[in-house]
Amino acid sequence: MGSTLPASPAPSSTASSRPRGKVLLEMKGIGKSFPGVKALQGVSLAVREGEVLALLGENGAGKSTLIKILSGAYTRDEGEILFDGKPVAIRSPEDAQALGISTIYQEFNLAKDLTVAENIFLGHLPVKGLRVDWETVRKRSREILDSLGALFSVDAVVSRLSVAEQQLVEISKSLNRKTRILVMDEPSAVLGEGDLERLFQVVRSLKDQGIGVIYISHRMREIFALADEVTVLKDGRYVGTRLVSEVTMDELVRLMIGRDLKDVYPRREPKLGEVLLEVKGLRRAKLVHDVSFQVRAGEIVGFAGITGSGRTEVVRAIFGADAHGGEMRVAGRPYRPRSPTEAVRRGIALVNEDRKAHGLFLKLNVTTNTTISALKWLCKAGIIQRAKEKSLVQRMIKDLRIKTPNADFLVVNMSGGNQQKVILGRWLAIDTKILIMDEPTRGIDVGAKSEIYQLMNELTKRGVGIIMISSELPEVQGMSDRVLVMREGTIVGELARAEASEEAIMKYAVGGELAQA
Amino acid sequence: MSTAATTTAAPRSPQRSRISGIIDLLRGVPILGPVAALLLACVFFATQTDRFLSGSNFSLILQQVMVVGTLAIGQTLVILTGGIDLSNGMIMALSSVLMTGLAANSGMNPFLAILVGLAVCVAFGVLNGWLTTAIGLPSFIVTLGTFNIAYALVRIYTTATITSVPDPMLFFGETFGIGSTQISYGSILMLALFVVAGFVLSSTRAGRAVYAVGDNPEAARLAGIRTNRVLLGVYAVAALSYGIAGLLLVARTGVGDPQAGQTGNLDSITAVVLGGTSLLGGRGQIVGTLVGALIVGVFRNGLQLMGVGSIYQVLITGILVILAVSVDYLSHRGGK
Repeated sequence: MGSTLPASPAPSSTASSRPRGKVLLEMKGIGKSFPGVKALQGVSLAVREGEVLALLGENGAGKSTLIKILSGAYTRDEGEILFDGKPVAIRSPEDAQALGISTIYQEFNLAKDLTVAENIFLGHLPVKGLRVDWETVRKRSREILDSLGALFSVDAVVSRLSVAEQQLVEISKSLNRKTRILVMDEPSAVLGEGDLERLFQVVRSLKDQGIGVIYISHRMREIFALADEVTVLKDGRYVGTRLVSEVTMDELVRLMIGRDLKDVYPRREPKLGEVLLEVKGLRRAKLVHDVSFQVRAGEIVGFAGITGSGRTEVVRAIFGADAHGGEMRVAGRPYRPRSPTEAVRRGIALVNEDRKAHGLFLKLNVTTNTTISALKWLCKAGIIQRAKEKSLVQRMIKDLRIKTPNADFLVVNMSGGNQQKVILGRWLAIDTKILIMDEPTRGIDVGAKSEIYQLMNELTKRGVGIIMISSELPEVQGMSDRVLVMREGTIVGELARAEASEEAIMKYAVGGELAQA
Repeated sequence: MSTAATTTAAPRSPQRSRISGIIDLLRGVPILGPVAALLLACVFFATQTDRFLSGSNFSLILQQVMVVGTLAIGQTLVILTGGIDLSNGMIMALSSVLMTGLAANSGMNPFLAILVGLAVCVAFGVLNGWLTTAIGLPSFIVTLGTFNIAYALVRIYTTATITSVPDPMLFFGETFGIGSTQISYGSILMLALFVVAGFVLSSTRAGRAVYAVGDNPEAARLAGIRTNRVLLGVYAVAALSYGIAGLLLVARTGVGDPQAGQTGNLDSITAVVLGGTSLLGGRGQIVGTLVGALIVGVFRNGLQLMGVGSIYQVLITGILVILAVSVDYLSHRGGK
């Protein structure tokens, strides 16, 4: 016992209101090497019945490798795994499943054209004689969905469900098998703010069913809301395990990145210049009504609001990605973009919310991804000037500290933080005056986040105006000079940096009594 | 107990790492695979028949692949954008009967007739591109439709083979000598077109746009690329290459044949795929297509010299395609 919780003082475990469950699973001294890389070394963790263990660490800290060892996708080189106190060998996903270890990855494993019930029973449909026993399938599926508080029909086709609902189907699937340990790999990354509370309830009901949950997330708030214990990894090594009731956010960040939280949001003194962008009465059918605001040179304007409040729709309209009405001016001159091409020409850039779907050319290399929007300036008579292109890419790699073996490296093999830097590089390679960032640090580890924040500040010093959409309130508060809050397609509140408390923002966002300004 | 698990993760055997080393190399320089296959095929046939390894035989192979090779240039462009063009062989046939018919039967100036044939091809390409971009239909469906339309137009125009083709149209079938080897101007034209296409794809803004649109059309649009214009251009330029292939076909056969081109789509896709270009778009090189066309040409030629019947040549081509794509697939699967 003492060996699994080396850093937590034993007596204060009374902090949690109920007696602690017995240890279900222990991983001890796990090591794993890949050619040339030691991915894990001496990593340990313990999961208890009916408890949530958060696994915390930056990208590349070894979380995924550890989880893959547990789920049988990789085999370990060193260490041992104890299940119910007995050593076990997990050599394949089937072994893990037989023990009752299920994993829910970020990319769901669902047959999208089949119904909810068919998915829950995929691969082991019960039969009566020669026919599938649909009655049992539907009844049992209903029971599982009810236990999770899911209201949708068992006959619904999965592709018609929202992402949050699909996640519930995925969880139901594992509950239908014998599941004692459920591993959830960043389950909140795919969800909007509104679905988060629902996920929390589901995880709590899993606890009540005595399941041990391993919960991976970058978001501190979730760890404090959900987890009983947290194990921190860094660079493939075990850093420590803490009871959540006895640890502060600052301490966790320090454990994870080895420095203090206040350095994450670097301070800056904004020097505001002329108005760069003026938006008047912007509208899009059903999604956006009468949105008006300004962005000045050197300013960071934060957009807060719940998912679906119309923030992304506003910035896509400004970028010319969707049809829209209303009036806009860029640097005082009328601006009516019918395509992103025109936006780029006027110095407006958009860093998308979903960088893989809408930003990156995953199978192409760093060079192509970086210079794709700058080619007009790198070409003579349509022919790319290689030397110029090369020096531009090298400069971006150096300035943004992009970690890549070389400029020909395929972007698909890079970490989320480095991919995001490549996209930033794309827009820094041209003369961007207004940078729009939609969830700029989603799925990025704290270290890379801090670098992106510093970069944003650097840009404002050069007179760039930034519009930042973020669902992470600390980010909105930490980075914005001014916060605009949206609800139901329009701006319902404007807060100066000093006024932008979490309560004030949420009041506007969800429509409290002060909302109608 | 845990020792059992440890032994399963034993260090890789040297043989295993050598294989993975080769896979890494193929992944880094994908053209090596097709080139190696071509060289191996040449070595094999050189040992089987002493007529294979001669300048005039290689010149013959080039002449045999020049039509499909030129068709495959356009096909490569379309496939790189993530599309597919089933209409190319029929567009080629239409251009070849139009050119020859207008010149031989209607007495049009042969150069003007060639221009008319090429223009009709480009018009078909624009139609393909417009239907895929403006309406957003899958290219498979669009070009299946235009395949049939072009086929019908050929048969409406003529059902008889057009003969007495004027001399200027046969120029690319003529040869010049280097030493004792006679090389056709058409082969040179095909190689030149490959060089031009390779340069455009690798070194111009337009070429980058083709790869970007093929890899992720929405990301390309949001990066400021006019994706519809790129696609329209690709289909139009591709169709121009089909028109040129039509001219080469006339030069090679000496007639305007309304039966021609029916397998042009599949033959050109075969060359593209053998050359390592991904049907998913965004990945591949034009030089691979040339190598792919040559692989097919070398096999047909070599097997013929060995006295293997033509139906077995087709059989072997089929096996080759599956082998090539399997190797490509396996070498990329691990790279996630």
